[in-house]
Amino acid sequence: MGIMDKARIYSPWLYHLHCGGCNGCDIETLAALAPRFDVERFGIQLVPSPRHADILLTTGCVPKQFIPMVKRVYEQVPEPKVVVAVGSCACGGSLFYDDAPENYAILGHPDLLIPVDVYVPGCAPKPEAIINGVVQGILKLAEKRAKK
Amino acid sequence: MVDLIYTLVSLIVIVPLALFLGVIYSYLLRKLSARFQWRVGPMFRMYGDLKPLLGTTRLLQPLYDILKLYGKETVVPDVSRRRLFVYSPYLSLIFAVAAIFFIPFPGMPLLSGVPYSLIIASYLLIASILFTILGPVASGSPWAAIGARREVELFLVSELGFVLCVFAVAIARQSLVIWDISSGGQSVYLALLTVTAGALMLVAMLGKLHIKPFDMPEAEAEIVAGPYTEYSGKLLGTYYLTKVFLLYGLVALFISLFLPPIATNVLWLPIYIVAAVVLVFLLTVVQVLNPRYRIRNAISWYLKVAIPLGVLNFVIALVIWLVV
Repeated sequence: MGIMDKARIYSPWLYHLHCGGCNGCDIETLAALAPRFDVERFGIQLVPSPRHADILLTTGCVPKQFIPMVKRVYEQVPEPKVVVAVGSCACGGSLFYDDAPENYAILGHPDLLIPVDVYVPGCAPKPEAIINGVVQGILKLAEKRAKK
Repeated sequence: MVDLIYTLVSLIVIVPLALFLGVIYSYLLRKLSARFQWRVGPMFRMYGDLKPLLGTTRLLQPLYDILKLYGKETVVPDVSRRRLFVYSPYLSLIFAVAAIFFIPFPGMPLLSGVPYSLIIASYLLIASILFTILGPVASGSPWAAIGARREVELFLVSELGFVLCVFAVAIARQSLVIWDISSGGQSVYLALLTVTAGALMLVAMLGKLHIKPFDMPEAEAEIVAGPYTEYSGKLLGTYYLTKVFLLYGLVALFISLFLPPIATNVLWLPIYIVAAVVLVFLLTVVQVLNPRYRIRNAISWYLKVAIPLGVLNFVIALVIWLVV
């Protein structure tokens, strides 16, 4: 493994994309970054701009008005990138999502718009689960580089 | 001839050395601020079972960040002024690296003995920061524009503080050559100047490095990432690299101007390292104890506190020059 591949595993930067929903998953995500779980131990940082990110962490189901924003944020993240969907809403739409009759306001899970690599189910998932999901994302990030 | 060869070799050696020391200082800044906030921060020794996957130590975490950014795709926005946007990170890096050539390191005078080296070094440090403003302005992003505007406002007042303290020392020691200043002796009056001008330099360093009370140019959650919003990949990595060199350069300049003769002889190296770590510790304490100022508060604070302190420095320096 070269030094560049190591660096990719050692410093994954997260961008937190809140698509919509109840904020429960966001609180748990922030708890994972706060002193008790402190993911900065492993070099994981929350970055303010999607252009700096390696991992896009999405929470919540996507309202129809939010579709262009989700696509745009995904496109702004430079390659190689990984998407981690956190929470039941982001994994399968949860109680907001229904095939028929279709909800007038809510599209459903972000997988309908952007390719999701890792799913972290739970309502809301514990910070340990989110950290585990991010670690799976980092492993996928390393694989993506290996393919190139 | 021997001197020339020694200078050339030391000019080549100082770049990786400055990078290494700058990375260590940035690591300390992150680690100490994490410890102050009851976090762990980047691990010095990784947990035993995670070592194969995550490496044994994260001492070089800032370097890994930069390397990772160099391995990523670089996005250049369509609306940007492409040439200025792409070249300003590199120009900023070149000026920062050029600045460290004029600042002595224990055992390596480098170019600090050339005439007017103090002015050259301050000019290069200022130019480096100027290009961290120009690039974002060319990116065409509103967030970057707000960040750059704040940076300009902060730059005007913090540079004034920087210039006041640097030239107070130059007047007191009657020299514009960094090597002469850093190899000069100490006296009670000069120690007094070291305390007042050193405090002002520390404040100017806070403004230049965007440390907490003065980090409004890159205020996250307020103006996205400020000037760096549109930067990604290699260009962002270059800006981070510039920051590492600037951190090293400012710490080295502080030690060589205010704590002579630590930055001259190689035997002072352990004390140099201790002084640098103490300085980074002080910066971290200020960072963790303060919230972010609004730009208006920062400017009025500078005008009320820092500038009178700078004038006081000048008075002390003049007294030393005329009387002592």
